[in-house]
Amino acid sequence: MKRRAFMLSVAGLAAGISMLPQVSLAAEGTIDWYTSSDSNILDFWTNTVKPAFEAAHPEYKLNLVDAGDGAGIIAIGERAVAAKATNTDPQADFFESADPLLPAGAIEAGIFVNIKEAGLSNYDKVNPAGIQSDYSLPYRGSQVLLAYDTTKLDPANAPKTWDELVTWIKANPGQFVYNRPDKGGSGGNFVRRAIHQANGLDPSKFTVDNYDETFGNEALGNAWAILSDIAPSLYDNGAYSSGNTQSIQLLAQGVVTMTPVWSDQILQAIDQGVLPETTGLVQLQDLALVGGFTRSVVLETGTNRDAALKLADFMLSEEIQSAILTELGGFPGVSWDHISPELREKFADIIPQQIPTFPGGAWEAAINDGWYRNVAPNVDRTQ
Amino acid sequence: MEKTDSRRPTGLLLVAVPVLLMAWLIIWPIFSAIGRTIWRPDANGETGFTLSSYVFFFSDQYSINNLMITLWTTGVCALFLLLICLPIAIYLRFSTGKIPAYVQALAIFPMFVPSIILAYAFIRVLGPNGMVDILLNSVGLPKIRTPYLTPWGPVIGMVWDNIPLTVLILLSGLGSVSNQSIEAARDVGAKRLQVLWYIILPRISNSVLVAISFAVLGIFSSFTLPYLLGPASPEMMGPFMNRTFREVNDPINAITQAVITFCFCIAFGLFYVRSVARNQGK
Repeated sequence: MKRRAFMLSVAGLAAGISMLPQVSLAAEGTIDWYTSSDSNILDFWTNTVKPAFEAAHPEYKLNLVDAGDGAGIIAIGERAVAAKATNTDPQADFFESADPLLPAGAIEAGIFVNIKEAGLSNYDKVNPAGIQSDYSLPYRGSQVLLAYDTTKLDPANAPKTWDELVTWIKANPGQFVYNRPDKGGSGGNFVRRAIHQANGLDPSKFTVDNYDETFGNEALGNAWAILSDIAPSLYDNGAYSSGNTQSIQLLAQGVVTMTPVWSDQILQAIDQGVLPETTGLVQLQDLALVGGFTRSVVLETGTNRDAALKLADFMLSEEIQSAILTELGGFPGVSWDHISPELREKFADIIPQQIPTFPGGAWEAAINDGWYRNVAPNVDRTQ
Repeated sequence: MEKTDSRRPTGLLLVAVPVLLMAWLIIWPIFSAIGRTIWRPDANGETGFTLSSYVFFFSDQYSINNLMITLWTTGVCALFLLLICLPIAIYLRFSTGKIPAYVQALAIFPMFVPSIILAYAFIRVLGPNGMVDILLNSVGLPKIRTPYLTPWGPVIGMVWDNIPLTVLILLSGLGSVSNQSIEAARDVGAKRLQVLWYIILPRISNSVLVAISFAVLGIFSSFTLPYLLGPASPEMMGPFMNRTFREVNDPINAITQAVITFCFCIAFGLFYVRSVARNQGK
């Protein structure tokens, strides 16, 4: 009886201990890499970047981890800030896409490497248009486009300006869908394009620091009016899909005729046969839909800081930058002079002439909340 | 006597781990969350007692709409679960042979399907231009208006998801209804509905309460299905909390929403505790 009691309590204790959070240390030579991007980016890293990097640097390994979304990356950044305070290992070395301003105070806390001064051999190739901070490295870009079904809409009649687009949406009720702005950049940047439309097509009006409630309400209020106006003509009288992929799914199922998409995602979807060859792409000519560069951040306090910097440098190499064009369908983070002339020729169509951007920070929260409160509930969908 | 004494510390030791884990991972965060919403710094930076975030929630039409759709979804799901699962459970209890075994397997099946897979299967089958649409179209019937991205989307998904647990609990309750009592009622001329109303339902009222409170607790705070299948607005509390916390960067209001959700859930939880206690008293 006693032995049995002992065994029982040991088993109970062991079960309890196994449920406690595991304590582990980052392995030397294994770069802990996190992304908040969609799965096409993770696939690109898994199938292209990781083998190429591990072949070029056999002493290092890449551990690719999906952090989910931007908030997931910020949470890991917060963990790094906390780890720095106690002088422990943050178990993270490289963020594939991150804003060094978040979590707030991370730069001051010394969490992120100053990439400009880190001595990367390829740093001077970076496209100056992409540089936003000394602490992040713009290694790839992509832009939001409109994808449509050419069997239902003749490319000659595809809308080229915002006003033409609105006219088309109203003339074809139920044939356009965009996703909730906080659940993916394609819908998010469509909403931002409406904000540009409502504010004189001038992206420079919005900066990271110039949000205040009065200006915000005024600038965004006009955009909510534009979006509410088209809402009844959207798919199912104003239903919004829950992400980039869900919008593409609706297009692929032939439910809608047109939807905003990320350039890299849509080119890959067409390439893989998710969408037919008859999918057309169009960009607005009065002011392009918002796009931007994806910026990587290296952690100063990571165990593999130097290896991560080698990875950052490797990302700017011609091999990877060409692969971003050919395999990912994005556009390079380096200036176009550093891309081979053949590729430059071949991809002339997707080379953006201008890339309107929209700042994050307080604007982001204002857009995320304002859209839900003002645009989403406007239509009584039970009718 | 001696035996019970020697067992006692072992038993306590065995429950200590789960109890401590629960205190650490659930009970402490609840108190800490309540504390953080009512005890916070005001505009001047002085920390003090305030209920402003709760006042905001209950004076904000958008938040109230979200709470209402959550209550509506929960209520409708509970009703449908009862209407669907009670006949299945009664059928399984009182019939023998091979077919009930298949029915049981089919009823338990949703338990093994993760809700994210269910959501995508649902979009493929009931969604726009999905299988149902194609089948209707092939026999010349008009298209249906799909429940995808309407409040009915999550209802259908969550009812399907909760059928196994509800059937199992009701089935265990029906075990306490003896065949003799039903035969006795039949002997004195009770009809089928009368047997159900006067003999079966009173015996399993506790199981019904337990089944409904289990389902309601899960549905009220669900996330995946309302997020993937439901409309952008109004949102159920799960997606609403998540969005307020992550996308709007507003932890205080997110915690307030969580505390309010918790208060509703604890009310449903008390039903469960009360029926369990009543059962033990018998």
